[in-house]
Amino acid sequence: MPPLLQIRDIKTWFPITRGIFSRTIGHVRAVDGVSFDIAPGETVGLVGESGCGKTTLGRTVLGLEPRKSGEILLGGTPLWPTRHQQTLPLRRRVQMVFQDPYSSLNPRMTIQEIVTEGLLQQRLIRPRERADAAARLLQEVGMEPSVLHRYPHEFSGGQRQRISIARAIAVRPELVICDEAVSALDVSVRAQVLNLLIDLRASHNLAYLFISHDLGVIRHIASRVVVMYLGVVVETGSSSEVLDSPAHPYSRALISAVPVPFGESRKRTILKGDVPSSSNPPSGCRFRSRCPLALPECAARVPVLEPVTLGSARQVACIRKDEILAR
Amino acid sequence: MNTLLDIRNLGITFDTDEGPLKAVDNVSFSIRQGEVVGLVGESGCGKSVTALGLLRLIPMPPGRLTSGEVIFEGRDLLRLPTDELRSIRGRRISVIFQEPMSALSPLHRVGAQLVETLQLHLPIDKHTAWNTSADWLKRVGLPDPVAQMRAYPYQLSGGMLQRVMIAMALMLEPALIIADEPTTALDVTIQAQVLELLREMKSKDTSLLLITHDLGVVWELCDRVVVMYASRVVEEGPRRELFENPAHPYTRALLDSVLSLTGRAARLSTIEGQVPSPLAYPAGCRFAPRCPHAFARCRQEQPPLYTFSTDRHSACFLCDKNPIAQPS
Repeated sequence: MPPLLQIRDIKTWFPITRGIFSRTIGHVRAVDGVSFDIAPGETVGLVGESGCGKTTLGRTVLGLEPRKSGEILLGGTPLWPTRHQQTLPLRRRVQMVFQDPYSSLNPRMTIQEIVTEGLLQQRLIRPRERADAAARLLQEVGMEPSVLHRYPHEFSGGQRQRISIARAIAVRPELVICDEAVSALDVSVRAQVLNLLIDLRASHNLAYLFISHDLGVIRHIASRVVVMYLGVVVETGSSSEVLDSPAHPYSRALISAVPVPFGESRKRTILKGDVPSSSNPPSGCRFRSRCPLALPECAARVPVLEPVTLGSARQVACIRKDEILAR
Repeated sequence: MNTLLDIRNLGITFDTDEGPLKAVDNVSFSIRQGEVVGLVGESGCGKSVTALGLLRLIPMPPGRLTSGEVIFEGRDLLRLPTDELRSIRGRRISVIFQEPMSALSPLHRVGAQLVETLQLHLPIDKHTAWNTSADWLKRVGLPDPVAQMRAYPYQLSGGMLQRVMIAMALMLEPALIIADEPTTALDVTIQAQVLELLREMKSKDTSLLLITHDLGVVWELCDRVVVMYASRVVEEGPRRELFENPAHPYTRALLDSVLSLTGRAARLSTIEGQVPSPLAYPAGCRFAPRCPHAFARCRQEQPPLYTFSTDRHSACFLCDKNPIAQPS
């Protein structure tokens, strides 16, 4: 199957300016050369710590951040053209669910207005069909159609996230970008929303780019994982392979750091120090300043993302990956 | 082991425009010397209000103490004169807050804030206080402590600030530390560093009350666990017993919704419905509307806290079937 989404060497840099003339003195390299594909109906989990660029990448794919270079193709069509007439039909195909259900819904719009705005904009329904369309959408996300004329503040976090999901699926997109879509929710509600996303994936044949720092959530929903560190991809592969036997020292540390109940105290890699600034990343491998396995060579050249074995879908950017996997 | 802190029937209500909001309702539990107790529950269950309330850090009004006593070293904290309470806060009981960024003053250097804390409670000169502070920062693993002390809080990262907070909480060698979601605002790799530090600091003399919603963190650090739901304690027990054999349906559901890193279930088990609003709690058991085991009695009466053994309690009518359980 040809990929639905192809991301080719995307770079999203933000200028750092100083002085009254806003002279550019450097760049925050939030996303610095990322490539991967998403197949139709596939869920790719994008993981990493705050500041690693995962949210910026999601926003770049959606066209919310201008990219410095690189290519994004949706079903072979380049995103995002500069002319509005050309972007409108593409917007129907990619939608987003944001992290914070409190700030991502317009407080002055009713639920009906929120979930049908895109449908009207895309001329998929007539204005008089609004109420029916909204009622159908709410049913799909497990809510009562009776709430149509209420406002977002009347709902709890979990319900607001259902409304956001209804808004995203309204225009029948092929790809939904979920940016920490369940992170703000309590565990009991989180499970409900995850199940909903899984059901909708099957019924609407949706592909998800699922951005999360929560590896348990990723394991549950994603078939493939992309691990990012300081703007670059350090490891990618099927979620069972990567989470069960990570091959990059950063993925290993990240996974071992998650406290899991019931487990006996595991051997844990505790990383030293903080994530360096992405305006001035370390030379060579960006992880080397915190890596327990770093060698002098790591400073000299940038490790490339290579398949672990010839032709394998699992790719790791570390010069010592063979050693780590052999252990 | 001696009981250090005994919370008995604590009740705190907030007067809101929509009526009285019972944030803490008849909560009782105790902490022994050297023990790490986890206070667990979802947002809004009253766990933070319980912890802040026992130090009288809840503004009153709008808050109102409706019942209870908090016995610490033989004295009732809720009825102590303010100046005596001040000598306990910080000195004997210290707090680590969730957001280190907002817990430290942005206008003062880190060092000055540490020195002030020490000098407020101990009769020492500035120079000694400075050295003691630097020493503690080193003990909590901050690189280059002297440079950090000259820095302002905004110049430090979240993980480093949380270390400063921990150093500040530990340096007066209090009997009890209350940590309110100390790692929630941090990334996992930084969380692992802080948990490791708390584990090392776990000593025989200092007790820790850890407030969290993360069951993984509880498992890693706690000796005993208190589970709250809708302003009440629903279950209490030693960590392993509670995790392996939960007695309350809510605890069981909470444990079931933990996502495993190693396997994948076809479907997540969920708790249907939502947490009831504290302005309108149901008449009987507050978990009954969401409970798969609820029967008629659950909807009419509030279940008492049943006792299995000294440390093991559950507030569920299902305990009636257990011959060991004694209703209180």
